[in-house]
Amino acid sequence: MISRADTDSTTTKATQSSDKPFVDAQDIPAFDPATALGEPGSFPYTRGVHRTMYQQRLWTMRQFAGFGSAKDTNQRFKYLLAHGTSGLSTAFDLPTLMGRDGDDPLSLGEVGRCGVAISSLADMRVLFDGIKLDEVSTSMTINAPAAILLAFYIAVADEQGVSPDKLRGTLQNDILKEFHAQNEYVFPPQPSVDLVTDTIEYCTKNMPQWNTVSISGYHIREAGSSAAEELAFTLADGMAYVEQAIKRGLDVDDFAPRLSFFFDAHNDFFEEIAKLRASRRIWARVMRDRFGAKNERSLILRMHCQTAGVTLTEQQPMNNVVRVAFQALAGVLGGTNSLHTNSMDETLALPTQDAAKLALRTQQIIAHESNVTQTVDPLGGSYFIEKLTNEIEAKARAIFDQIDAMGGVLPAIDRGYFRRAIAESAHKQQKQLDAGETKIVGVTDFKEDRAPGIDILQITQKTEDDQVARLKKLKKDRDQKRHTEALTRLRDDARAGKNVMPALVNASKADATVGEMMETMKSVFGAYDGGPEW
Amino acid sequence: MVTTTETKRETMSDKPKAHPPRILLAKIGLDGHDRGVKVLARSFRDAGIEVIYTGLWQTCEATMLAALQEDVDIVGVSLLSAAHLTVMPEILRIRKELDVENIPIVLGGIVPDADQPKLKEMGVAAVFNPGSPLDEIIDALRKLTAANQKPNFSDIKSGYEKRDPRALAKLITKIQRNTDLGEFKPPAGNAKIIGVTGAPGVGKSSFIAKLGRRLRDKGNKVGVVAIDPSSPITGGALLGDRLRMMAGTPDTDFFVRSLSSGGAHGALAPHCIDVIAAMDGFGFDYIVVETVGAGQSDVAIRDLVDKTVLLLMPDSGDAVQFSKAGIMEIASCFVLNKCDLAGADATQAQLVGAIGDDRPVFRVSTIRDEGVDAVAEWVASS
Ligand SMILES: Nc1nc2c(ncn2[C@@H]2O[C@H](COP(=O)(O)OP(=O)(O)O)[C@@H](O)[C@H]2O)c(=O)[nH]1
Ligand SMILES: [Mg+2]
Repeated sequence: MISRADTDSTTTKATQSSDKPFVDAQDIPAFDPATALGEPGSFPYTRGVHRTMYQQRLWTMRQFAGFGSAKDTNQRFKYLLAHGTSGLSTAFDLPTLMGRDGDDPLSLGEVGRCGVAISSLADMRVLFDGIKLDEVSTSMTINAPAAILLAFYIAVADEQGVSPDKLRGTLQNDILKEFHAQNEYVFPPQPSVDLVTDTIEYCTKNMPQWNTVSISGYHIREAGSSAAEELAFTLADGMAYVEQAIKRGLDVDDFAPRLSFFFDAHNDFFEEIAKLRASRRIWARVMRDRFGAKNERSLILRMHCQTAGVTLTEQQPMNNVVRVAFQALAGVLGGTNSLHTNSMDETLALPTQDAAKLALRTQQIIAHESNVTQTVDPLGGSYFIEKLTNEIEAKARAIFDQIDAMGGVLPAIDRGYFRRAIAESAHKQQKQLDAGETKIVGVTDFKEDRAPGIDILQITQKTEDDQVARLKKLKKDRDQKRHTEALTRLRDDARAGKNVMPALVNASKADATVGEMMETMKSVFGAYDGGPEW
Repeated sequence: MVTTTETKRETMSDKPKAHPPRILLAKIGLDGHDRGVKVLARSFRDAGIEVIYTGLWQTCEATMLAALQEDVDIVGVSLLSAAHLTVMPEILRIRKELDVENIPIVLGGIVPDADQPKLKEMGVAAVFNPGSPLDEIIDALRKLTAANQKPNFSDIKSGYEKRDPRALAKLITKIQRNTDLGEFKPPAGNAKIIGVTGAPGVGKSSFIAKLGRRLRDKGNKVGVVAIDPSSPITGGALLGDRLRMMAGTPDTDFFVRSLSSGGAHGALAPHCIDVIAAMDGFGFDYIVVETVGAGQSDVAIRDLVDKTVLLLMPDSGDAVQFSKAGIMEIASCFVLNKCDLAGADATQAQLVGAIGDDRPVFRVSTIRDEGVDAVAEWVASS
């Protein structure tokens, strides 16, 4: 007999609650399909957000890419557009993600390495050169400086004569998970969330087609949380944004439809499927019951999934292809709206072209060969899946209660709750691994002598040197008076507690850099050092 | 000024016993993936190792200066951004510049096979990959610690007299490990000793970082002793105070030392006093001592500090607790930290109600760097 001990379940052990080797109706007492599931496309959306799901439209196969200079990425964008893509996905380099310019001392060796380097409006102009911004949808994976990148985008569109209401795209803009897990924060939690609320407010009023926040559990899970924690922390973050926006005076149905979610598709196959199903059910109920949302689009949880980078191994890298395939399948069976499959070589470096293609092919094989798309939520009604879905929902609700008892997400961050929980879960998994209780094929078991490494992508130092030179020139040539005034206005607006978006757009046009705008806001908001639980 | 305790120590046998490693774990650069380093830090602690973690976004220079001051046996660098061929040469260069080449540097992270020989050749002692078994890592660390050349005491003494910070760092280690120092006694110094006390999480370390910088700006040499309240069972410890004090340009005249209150021998208070004495004799203008304000060590330290700053925060209820424990009486001033949070006015009113108005109450937000100037002036003036 194996029993599930608690919320931490990265063990791959079977989940059985009693002394019988299977799950049956007794394990889902009082199961009422009408209330627990509804039909696909109807409340509480457990089975999916659309009635037909993949029968009519497959999930979006979104592969996130980009590196080097703005010019390199612009060429890549144009190539993709010429080949039928209409959605551009932008990955930024580490300095940009951290709100630092390419010439900052801490940027050393990182410029253009893991994404495109954008330090100013001039770079953004190059990135979208020759691309009409009212004809594309752009996704930008960025958080702490998200408002600044959005301002750049608005400013470039303005130069093209495109007004903000015509712009379509998505900003990750989820600062809360940075405090829990990914560590790309700059300001303390409260002003950081205020800044997110500024973007939500600005977009709700001016950019109705823009997806304002992609609330992410992915990084929380990658940092070591359990599946239940991933689910609960992410939805709790979602609720925190909704609360803040309502406090700002917005109507929930005006902004909630533009929130979306981002989850990890991890190893424990059935648990992952259950997690995704539970997420829709919880969100629909929370939005209706806690926030009084009436618009159906406020109730449905739209999600993107990515396979679990953390499960990939450097040893026997070909094995990763298999891991990615079944993780992706879990995402699909869980009803994701969009999916990214990882490349087998990414524990080593940025994916090579071939590895990235194989990752995409994996999705295509699931979509077009496996025939799992023939019906909506094919696992719905399975004793085991429904039991797991109930269990993970119950665990999530218990975690919500804990967070509520602390006064909400922000006070819980102040106490180090999330970081401690994640670190403890990660530590526990490591101990299980060390004790031989969990296995990793090719690492703990079935080991081989190290094979010669696979080919990996190399990036040159030239991107960095060019970027630094361009910045130097920009800083020398710009209208200094206008620049100073724009930053002064930004500081004053921040100090006065105004929505900073207009001042950021203005500062962008005055050639203020990402680093300068961040420093200006830091002088008002303060800087954060990781909270009590590092 | 400090007078050393007369506590008798057991004389250690001639052969130095193997001590548990003391390791500094560092994340360098902008990469924020700290899952690995945090898991390791905890596992090391559980294995009886003393771990000092310096937090995210460190430069090579700050890391190596911290290693020097903390007198660690090993520096572990965690790098997941593939920047190892840029970062490791820089670390090694600074290690040489600071003349602490006895400290082995190990690297953990994603390192392609082809780069491993290059790293070994440039002087990296060991490279661990994400799949490296914990036992193997710990074993390697113990071996490196054992092989680490320890200077003899006379070298330390003469270095200390020449105001070599490496010697101070090593002297503190000796005191910590209960080594018999024979006739050696640090000379009396003139440092003003400031105790900074308050509940865990109130912001002591963060505040000391800012206060220390103010004092440094006036040209003072500043030493900090941060006593971590963690009471380890295994002898291991996870010391996190230093992490709050890493901001700003690395500064050789801002000497921070983390102490674990656990200690192998439990005889805690005398150690701390002797450490402070050693720092005093070294010639600092200020020595700031971080303690939690309750417990054995504080009682002993209380007598030797010139001033005690008690940190409180809004809505914490600490004031009530401290009143009961008699700690409010010993404070020479109160710092109400985290005034950026709600409830500061009420807590201040409460506090003034409880203590009267003969001692200053400062409102501070360390995180926004507000209100620290006033405290620094008060510290300097009286
Ligand atoms: N909001 C706020 N947080 C602070 C302030 N000062 C410190 N903190 C946070 O409080 C936590 C604990 O700080 P730390 O210095 O380690 O406290 P210690 O345990 O007393 O040494 C950290 O997350 C700090 O960022 C402040 O002025 N305002
Ligand atoms: Mg501290």
